Amino acid sequence: MSRLLSALLLSCLAASALAERAGYYGYGKPAMPEEIAGWDIDVRPDGEGLPEGGGSVEDGESLYEEKCAECHGSFGEAVGRYPALAGGEGSLTDDRPHRTVGSYWPYVSTLWDYIHRAMPYTQPESLTDDEVYAITAYVLYLNEVVEDDFVLDRETFKDVVLPNAGNFIRDARPDTANTRCMKNCKNPASIEITSIVETKPAEETRIEVASAAPVGKATYDQACAMCHVSGLGGAPVLGDAAVWTARSARGTSVLIANAISGYQGEQGYMPPKGGFAALTDEAVEAAVEYMLEMSQ
Amino acid sequence: MGSMGLVGGAAAAQIGLADDNSFLPPNVPAWTKSLGPGVLTNPYGQPSRFEANVQRRSVEWLTADRIASISFTPLANLKGIVTPSGLVFERYHAGVPEIDPAQHRLMIHGMVERPITLTMDDLMRFPSTSQIRFLECPANGGMEWRGAQMEGVQFTHGMLSCCEWTGVMLSTLLEEVGVDKRAAWILAEGADGSHMSRSVPMGKALDDAMIVYAQNGEMLRPEQGYPVRLINPGWEGNTCVKWLRRLEIGDKPWHHREETSKYTDLMADGTAREFTYVQECNSVITGPSPEKPMKGKGKYWVEGLAWSGNGKVKHVDVSFDGGINWREARFTSVVLPKSLTRFGLELDWDGSPLMLQSRAVDETGYVQPTYTQLRAARGTNSIYHKNAIHTWKINPDGSVQNVQIT
Repeated sequence: MSRLLSALLLSCLAASALAERAGYYGYGKPAMPEEIAGWDIDVRPDGEGLPEGGGSVEDGESLYEEKCAECHGSFGEAVGRYPALAGGEGSLTDDRPHRTVGSYWPYVSTLWDYIHRAMPYTQPESLTDDEVYAITAYVLYLNEVVEDDFVLDRETFKDVVLPNAGNFIRDARPDTANTRCMKNCKNPASIEITSIVETKPAEETRIEVASAAPVGKATYDQACAMCHVSGLGGAPVLGDAAVWTARSARGTSVLIANAISGYQGEQGYMPPKGGFAALTDEAVEAAVEYMLEMSQ
Repeated sequence: MGSMGLVGGAAAAQIGLADDNSFLPPNVPAWTKSLGPGVLTNPYGQPSRFEANVQRRSVEWLTADRIASISFTPLANLKGIVTPSGLVFERYHAGVPEIDPAQHRLMIHGMVERPITLTMDDLMRFPSTSQIRFLECPANGGMEWRGAQMEGVQFTHGMLSCCEWTGVMLSTLLEEVGVDKRAAWILAEGADGSHMSRSVPMGKALDDAMIVYAQNGEMLRPEQGYPVRLINPGWEGNTCVKWLRRLEIGDKPWHHREETSKYTDLMADGTAREFTYVQECNSVITGPSPEKPMKGKGKYWVEGLAWSGNGKVKHVDVSFDGGINWREARFTSVVLPKSLTRFGLELDWDGSPLMLQSRAVDETGYVQPTYTQLRAARGTNSIYHKNAIHTWKINPDGSVQNVQIT
């Protein structure tokens, strides 16, 4: 701490001289501007970090349908338990509030930043900056925050304010004041059970001591189930005999090759090894065989 | 080792077949009359196979899939205050990245004199420190805001763990890069597919934040951020960014998704609290619990865990009558700041129904609140930071149920 303070003090006096000097330990290498540029992806509410480029609601519509609607629904209403992106305006004081970009999120920058850093879910950081602008614009449109002719870029970004901006406050805790009463702290007659859980805990069903799951099932659970349980991305659902019979007619070796190398089909896209590049070919093969066996 | 291994294997098979009293006194069990497996049968040891039931579990309906999901620590089975590395609850936003430490870099840049990239070897050359600190997801217990819902302590309180963390103080790294005096915030970012990111105030970074590469004496488990993560002691687990690749120093918070859309606390009036970092004082009885029911009348050691993100736990009181009368429990572990602390006290049970509660007080004088107090302050929709006094109903048959009472 004291060393930091003295460093800060010195930096006021001789910033340029210090910049030339290594740190106290001198470990590591200077981070070069081009190295930083590849990783420095964050965007702030004041727009710092937003790149050049832009995208329209119109362009965003087809991109959204292709890359986002599978999980978030065509209108941002959500599929299954994936997050809803639109709706819920005015619901924050309801018994069951509906938290979406339009009803809850404070900043447009958060939306741009998150789509860019983490979406689409199975292929993070795969979108171009223009595509991120366009999809962001379209999600704003789904929330009726912008019109259908809107184009989002670094300039128009400044004009868009989300409805719930301003409703976030800093931490107000501690916000309870219990006391350490030890005797006769409440009237016994006032005690009432308001809710009770009737079911037994999982441990009651003792787990059999067994060998590890076969490689095929283990790989399926880890890498394949995400899409092949729900049909996400057009994936054939495990146990759907009709769909799997049609596919296995092309030959198991073809299915295995596609699963390893990736495959663009009419219904959807299979990323190489389901996106889990670290899997061995043998593990993928075992997973395909497991899935075929479970879908007869 | 071939023949010895075979002998051991045969003995193990026999042990598995014992299902009567033939191994009990005055008889002698098979394992006492044979050789067991030799050294290096398990070069990296595993728990006994008879402990296979002790494992992390999930609640399938909580999340859409297992890639962005959470699992729970089996608190009822734990002893002392340290959570074994393999039982620490998991929380992922894009699954566990498989990171080659030789190819991993920690970049520190932004408002600094000397932006640097560090290899893992570089990081481990800095002076190291080891601290026992709890790690808790702020959503721990969040399913119980409206009423009792989860069937066991693994699910009511199991987004909780405590490890010895080893690494370098973040303040040491900040000295090394020379922080601009206008800097006030740090963005921590992970190398996983979600690029998990949180804004951390400079005050915390200079106080007790750690950049850790080891837990409980071994390198971090992949689930816990291998090869390097941030630990903000006492603060919500989500800020303790795993698979850490980047620290950017800035003058304002970033307001990213995990500090706006998520990890903000919605109040009854529609406003939401942001940057609610501290995990306030909390406690729970882990035995008896639904997983550890009573077995007949007699003397019992009632025990549990208490913790506070604001320092040390000062007192834990236990009530058997739903909060009418309380008795102070005693600590059965060391008492460390921002660490799990184990407490216990004796109960002589006559078989009558009980309402078992624990109430922790920390060194700031803060007393763990009741549900009534917590809901009066925040409503029922804030998801995070639920630390209310918990009640187990003990039935005459010894079974234990999760209840909420007035």
